[in-house]
Amino acid sequence: MFNLSYRYDQTAARLMVEGLPDISAGHGQGVIGILSSWKLQFVGSPELEGKREHLEAMLATVLPYARYRLSGVARPFGEADSAVSLAPANNGGHQLELRSSKPGVSPLTIALDDAELADLVRCLDAMRLDPRVQIAWADQSDRPLARRELAERVPLMKRLAPSVLGGSVLLVVALLSALVPLPESKQPKQEAAPIESAESSGSAAQPVPKAE
Amino acid sequence: MTEASAPPVLSAASGESIAVVNTALDRRGLERLDLLLLTVEALAINGGEVMLWATQQLGYESLFPNRVELWKRRCTNPLRRSTRRTALTGEEIEALIRVICAMADRLYPMLHQLLWSREPSALQDQRWGKFDQRLRDLIGERMNLRRGSVQRLLETESSAPVQRQMVITLALASGPGGVDRLRASLQDPTP
Repeated sequence: MFNLSYRYDQTAARLMVEGLPDISAGHGQGVIGILSSWKLQFVGSPELEGKREHLEAMLATVLPYARYRLSGVARPFGEADSAVSLAPANNGGHQLELRSSKPGVSPLTIALDDAELADLVRCLDAMRLDPRVQIAWADQSDRPLARRELAERVPLMKRLAPSVLGGSVLLVVALLSALVPLPESKQPKQEAAPIESAESSGSAAQPVPKAE
Repeated sequence: MTEASAPPVLSAASGESIAVVNTALDRRGLERLDLLLLTVEALAINGGEVMLWATQQLGYESLFPNRVELWKRRCTNPLRRSTRRTALTGEEIEALIRVICAMADRLYPMLHQLLWSREPSALQDQRWGKFDQRLRDLIGERMNLRRGSVQRLLETESSAPVQRQMVITLALASGPGGVDRLRASLQDPTP
């Protein structure tokens, strides 16, 4: 049986996958169901290659990173011990790090700019959505981000500024109002009011006859 | 899934069937959607006409039969100079998202050039300068300039990161997986 090979080209990136049809899954000729190897080449960078698990790690890292980047959130993806990690770089670009499963091999770091990241995402999208490559990848469905995750894109100082300012103003107003002397309380003098009898008050209420 | 419960489909001119997704956007999502369309117009020569042609290519003649109808839908952006209160339907939002992605795919070489850091900086500055001027002209012509967020789009310091974010958004929304990514991003809640 022939080994199948498909290539996905972009301006600065090229992804190539090789494999065989999975006859047990009913794949026809020309469909890769078993991935044997893959290669990724960026312009001016060494060629990367690996097995299926490495490509899965690449998909699970790069696509969520791109999803967050689309919402303006720059945060790293991939654990320190995972095969692939991608993190924002200080120069505004992106740092792709690949760790070999072989012992004693130091990680390979590739600096990507936004154009190369977009090329990589397009290559991976084209491969995973290609009907000629029918491999059960992990679910990569895109969902809206949580409010908490979106808040991360705003710097901490900027996020805290309104509440800090409000608290400070409240404190200053409370201190100033504590310094203002309280007005002396003047007790109204109680004057001895003549006690009127119920009779006189009753007679007062009666209409006075008009003098003729 | 039975056939009765399957989502309805639109037939594109290319023969490809497009599932209708019930998409809803909040105010911020609508603002971003229109700003992305405006960015596409700033990048493409004769962008308005090309956009209308793209709607026809995708099979959306019934939703946007002419440029006036397309214009009306875009005016649901609250930041527009002449804004319309009529809400967009889920089908219309989905169609506009797909139009943006189709246009981004078509403009991808230009987006790539803008984001490519290995070219001489003078050339890059020239490209960004042209784009900046065209986008400013479009914003000044169509947006309500009394709104603070529109004024921020025109301020030199604050406009550059927004413009770059719009270009990156279009680059990542192009290609086969771009529609889902852009839809999810536009549905982000307001932080």
